[in-house]
Amino acid sequence: MKRVRVPAPLRLPVLLLALAIPAAAQEIAFDASAFEKKPYELGGYLELKQEAFDLHRDGAFYRLTTLGLPQRESLDRTTATLQLVGKLRYGIGTFDFRTSSSLQRDESAHSHDNSIYEAAYSIRPDPGFTLEAGKRALKWGKGYAWNPMGFVERPKDPNDPQLAREGFVMADADWIASPGGALQTIAFTPVLLPVESNINGDFGSRDHLNPAAKLYLLYKDTDLDFAWQGKGSRPARFGFDFSRNVTTNFEIHGEWARILQFAKPITNNAGHVTTETGDATSFLLGLRYLSASDTTYIAEYYRNGTGYSDDEAGQFYRFVDTAFTQLQQTGSDALVQRALSLSQGSYGRPNPGTDYVYFRAQQKDALGIVYFTPAITAMANLRDHSFQVTPELQYTGFNNLELRLRLFLLHGGSGTDFGEKLVSRKLELLARYYF
Amino acid sequence: MKRLLGLIAFLVALPALAAIDGAQILQKVDRNLEPESYESYRQLTDIQPDGTKKVSVLYTMKKGRDKIVALFLAPASDKGRVTLRLGDNMWLYIPDVGRAIRITSLQSVTGSVFNNADILRIDYTAEYDVAAAEEQGDVYLLSLKAKTGEVAYDRLKMWVDKKAMLPVTIECYAASGLLIKTLHFSDIKDFGGGIKRPATLATDSPLQKGYRSVMQWSGLKKREFADEIFTLNYLPRVQELRK
Repeated sequence: MKRVRVPAPLRLPVLLLALAIPAAAQEIAFDASAFEKKPYELGGYLELKQEAFDLHRDGAFYRLTTLGLPQRESLDRTTATLQLVGKLRYGIGTFDFRTSSSLQRDESAHSHDNSIYEAAYSIRPDPGFTLEAGKRALKWGKGYAWNPMGFVERPKDPNDPQLAREGFVMADADWIASPGGALQTIAFTPVLLPVESNINGDFGSRDHLNPAAKLYLLYKDTDLDFAWQGKGSRPARFGFDFSRNVTTNFEIHGEWARILQFAKPITNNAGHVTTETGDATSFLLGLRYLSASDTTYIAEYYRNGTGYSDDEAGQFYRFVDTAFTQLQQTGSDALVQRALSLSQGSYGRPNPGTDYVYFRAQQKDALGIVYFTPAITAMANLRDHSFQVTPELQYTGFNNLELRLRLFLLHGGSGTDFGEKLVSRKLELLARYYF
Repeated sequence: MKRLLGLIAFLVALPALAAIDGAQILQKVDRNLEPESYESYRQLTDIQPDGTKKVSVLYTMKKGRDKIVALFLAPASDKGRVTLRLGDNMWLYIPDVGRAIRITSLQSVTGSVFNNADILRIDYTAEYDVAAAEEQGDVYLLSLKAKTGEVAYDRLKMWVDKKAMLPVTIECYAASGLLIKTLHFSDIKDFGGGIKRPATLATDSPLQKGYRSVMQWSGLKKREFADEIFTLNYLPRVQELRK
């Protein structure tokens, strides 16, 4: 504590200035009573999305997806989505839900979908203990684009990692303690996830009650998670993640996960499918950096232990060629149907390869325009050197309205990950109004 | 002779009488601004050069010197977002994303002149040491130095009203000496429970000329919270704590 002798008194004009400047501010009304907690809440958003696709007619996934349909070079698609989010409070419990309804129309088809993303009832007998049951989207892991530790969730779309996803029906609990000292927080989350004929059918094989759990620690300013999922509908798996600020504006994170006895279907170029079973290890390392000029950089490396090597993927693409050659020469679609089936499985995942990098840079308030955020995102398959680049413009300056324009540019040769996708370019315009 | 000795004794004692305890003033400022544990509602208004306004409303809970949570109640696009600060660590929970990500003190979750360090402000004594204190008429001028490099502003100049022992103006500087922003407190209001403090805080920045942000308080009152509330796992349920 430093004591300083008093200099000659100086009357500060800043005192008057300080009183004068907020005078205008006082004209802004604020009535907190309008925000009192209510027994129910309803909100959400209405989204309109217009997409223009340049189809990649030589790509394996174009040929398989459009089998028997009129062939085209491009496609325009309009999608309207309504997401409703609500809460109902009763007694010590809360029921909350999130639904998604969409209408989609393009030049070849139109469809609609109504899904309950989440609907769960939770009770909290103590601030440190919560019990809940229902449909819940638990999100585990620290990765931005990928989450190898996301054991009890539907896969994330790396092109839209912030999008809400449908959950699974489950019962879970949350126990939290704050011991203090170096170990600031401990939290334990056990989960029971049933798979029956009409419940969670896409999680894995039926008639299992799948246990899973996550332990979270905040230890010496580092987030640490340890997760486990028991053998049941899916092979057993375990993993951990971490996240830490190295400096105020520089964060590092990582995830590691091992799946025991993972069964991977592999085809050769003749369509002969074998199943390779073994432990699969995936991991991710990433960083997030905020520069002095308000540019945020996100970079991640993802090693996909369940992915296909360059050679394995190449054999699949050659098999697709073989299948279509057979179709043309003999009229038999047996091989094409087999290829189609494989393409709808693990070969058709958004990232079926083994090694990826993700990079995103976004500039806040660019060109001096507040709420204007241009960004560029790149994703590359390190094995076959194919990639996707996505420039983006976003504006959020209108109240509750988000406008976003994105251009997806895919590049890769024949037999490569991004070179065999359904589209080669996509322009997307999205307007989302929150209420 | 006695008078002369008395005068000498007075002159010798004068510096001690006049010396001020900057750390004590800062502690009083902290407690006069807010109780150590409290809840409050705040409205953040961001005003663009053309007069366009964007308004956010937050429900805030603080415990101890360095635990604070802020829940967004408006606008609809941000509703349900929660920011948590534990000392130097800050996270943002977005309901759609479904998990918390680490954020930095210099970012602004609202896109306002107020950054996260302003919105999730913890006690000044938790982040700053008093490097110098002086009296300037009706105010004290405290020169504050950040305790670590993790703090958003390296130095603060804080003018404190001597009578109310509340800040009037705070200038925030980077380590380079660059003035980042100025905070102007005003509109002293009795919130009840012995809390009488400025209900309005306005800010402007030479780095964002023409833009201005205003923070207004309502419903500020003492309230005790369990430690478990200030954890990542609790963030999706924070809004259930509102009465």
